[in-house]
Amino acid sequence: MKITQSAKEKTKIKILQSAVDLIIEKGFDNASLREMAKNAGVSNPTIYNYFPSKEKLLYAYIEQKHKEAIASLQEIEDFQTYTLREQLQTLIETELELYLEDREFIIQIADMVFHASGLKMGKLYETNALFIETVDEMLSIAIEAEEIAEPPFREHMPKLFWDYYIMVVAYWVKDDSEMFENTTQLLDHSLGLAEAVLHSDMLSKASDLGMFFFKTHMLNSLQKFATKKESFSKIKRKLGEVLHG
Amino acid sequence: MDNALPTGKLSRGKVVGKALLKIGAKKTKRFVTNGDKTQNHEAIADIIFDALGELKGVSVKIAQQVALGMPFLPPAYLEKISKSFNAIPSINKALVRKIIKTELGLYPQDAFESFEMTAFAAASLGQVHLATKDGKQLAVKVQYPGIKKSIESDMSLIHFGMKRFAKGQNVDHIIGEIEERLYEEVDYVLEAKNCAFFRENIDNKNIIIPKVYPALSSEKVLTTSFLEGLNFDSYMASNPTQEEKDNYAQLIFDTFFYALYTLKHIHADPNPGNFLFLENGKLGLIDFGCVKRVEDDFLTQYNQLHLNLLEEDDDQSIIKQYVTLGMIEEQTEEEMLTFYREIIKPLDTLYKEPLVGECYDFKVNNDFSKRGFEMIFEVQQKQFHSVHKLNEQFLFINRTLLGYYALFEKMGAKIETGYVKNLMKEYR
Ligand SMILES: Nc1ncnc2c1ncn2[C@@H]1O[C@H](COP(=O)(O)OP(=O)(O)OP(=O)(O)O)[C@@H](O)[C@H]1O
Repeated sequence: MKITQSAKEKTKIKILQSAVDLIIEKGFDNASLREMAKNAGVSNPTIYNYFPSKEKLLYAYIEQKHKEAIASLQEIEDFQTYTLREQLQTLIETELELYLEDREFIIQIADMVFHASGLKMGKLYETNALFIETVDEMLSIAIEAEEIAEPPFREHMPKLFWDYYIMVVAYWVKDDSEMFENTTQLLDHSLGLAEAVLHSDMLSKASDLGMFFFKTHMLNSLQKFATKKESFSKIKRKLGEVLHG
Repeated sequence: MDNALPTGKLSRGKVVGKALLKIGAKKTKRFVTNGDKTQNHEAIADIIFDALGELKGVSVKIAQQVALGMPFLPPAYLEKISKSFNAIPSINKALVRKIIKTELGLYPQDAFESFEMTAFAAASLGQVHLATKDGKQLAVKVQYPGIKKSIESDMSLIHFGMKRFAKGQNVDHIIGEIEERLYEEVDYVLEAKNCAFFRENIDNKNIIIPKVYPALSSEKVLTTSFLEGLNFDSYMASNPTQEEKDNYAQLIFDTFFYALYTLKHIHADPNPGNFLFLENGKLGLIDFGCVKRVEDDFLTQYNQLHLNLLEEDDDQSIIKQYVTLGMIEEQTEEEMLTFYREIIKPLDTLYKEPLVGECYDFKVNNDFSKRGFEMIFEVQQKQFHSVHKLNEQFLFINRTLLGYYALFEKMGAKIETGYVKNLMKEYR
């Protein structure tokens, strides 16, 4: 029997959702693929066929959310009238919005990525192709439309933005403010700053230095975050310094 | 660059700290040089409000409330405060989309039939968007996220700053009042309730109050029917006739007293931005963020006092009434008389001036607010050791009225007092 692409996609989403639910209920370590299969109403071989390991399932989840987020952006009628900053901000906000119902699950993943040895940060990069492609496209359009001048390190920008995105998610995971409005503010202000930098000629004047600092700060923060639990507040502070001078 | 609202305790603390440091330095300098007071006030006002500009958000509202709550503030501050009205955080399209989704559960394109992502008007804590639903035009007011939580830290700066200029007077109760008011103002649910209340109860075909759409509103989003009209400045620029202006002033004046005496509620924010001038002499009333309820007992005393003031009763009997109202503290007769004559009397003389005759022409008396400011300035220069806690409801009514008078003066309008005096007499 031939299975159509869309049927396949449907099964995948069904498995993912039951996996997320089970992981929220039992924790990542105690949730078995077998039980996920049962809850999703598929056979054992089927689930292994889709996801050879629980880790693969995680990555698929992240990719799936990228897909959904991008689909959601495509529904915005006048999205092309958004500024680059608005487009990027919408992309992240939409992803966070999608994560919201699975927040408990995301918290577990974040914990594994940043604190435990299990998942490697680098692995996450394998899931970002769609995200980076999208950002790259937004950037190209903005440059082409002469909304911004071609920034130095143009080719690194999308990856840098991915780093930034991971950091925002990490912040969101720890955010205990009402409706996560701290994250919304962080996003709004930091992107406002980035926008200002892109619009000024600061980058071309002090490009190497500026970019070096920006990237170093980001990476340092992430590094620290990955190794020590308590360092989170430090990152926040650091970020504050970077963003507010 | 877009001067975003600083996040987090730390950066906010930095900005606040910077402002405090600068005040300290100015203070010292004044001691040394004994320089011109007005100039110093101006410089300090500049520093405070520059810092507030950086904190933005709720600060605009605070500034507004301070202006209302502290009639004795030096004019330099008031000026600076009114300037800061322009410092409105803008909400970009990404954020608008996010806020609507968080607050209403749906993205704008799904919650409404159409939704203009670019705002058509600024609000003090956000902005207003045009939308449609079921063929109706709607005004959707959207609040910037995180404002509520910034009230506390912003208020501590204000508290610090104001204590220095209160000359030993206790400002805690005023600060407390302002804070309470702010929490009310950031809550659009409350505003929606007040708006609906006025819409239901103001029975005047020339007053148009928007309809609230509760299903499309929340604490941070307020959806009402859109009123098509001119704001104050555009209206004035459209060269209205004298008769038209007089009619509008009369309508505003009468409606204020009608609400006070009949509904026992006042719309206590005399900002001209809260009026829309519609077709055929109709007036749109918007922004019910600052509505004050008045109690029966208080109103009876307030009314009696003002009737007596208009009847030119002697100071002694007037003072008694002020004591009952909690505007003058019980002291020796002589002390009370001095306080009354020095502080309160200049104010009540000013308040009642337009009410004395059958009509009052602000075009002729076009120095009304100038005299008012000078008088308030003079009063605040006087040192009184005792702390007089002023009656809050009293202050709200009279400061709102003063605001309206200033507006009528700008319009160069004439008002008739017959209807209002009749309301007062009937209430007795
Ligand atoms: N229903 C409406 N119809 C038409 N315009 C409206 C409506 N509601 C608000 N506006 C416009 O938006 C502006 C700001 O609205 P509003 O006064 O309610 O905000 P606010 O935050 O309470 O501001 P402030 O307290 O500074 O007056 C108004 O001055 C008006 O121009």
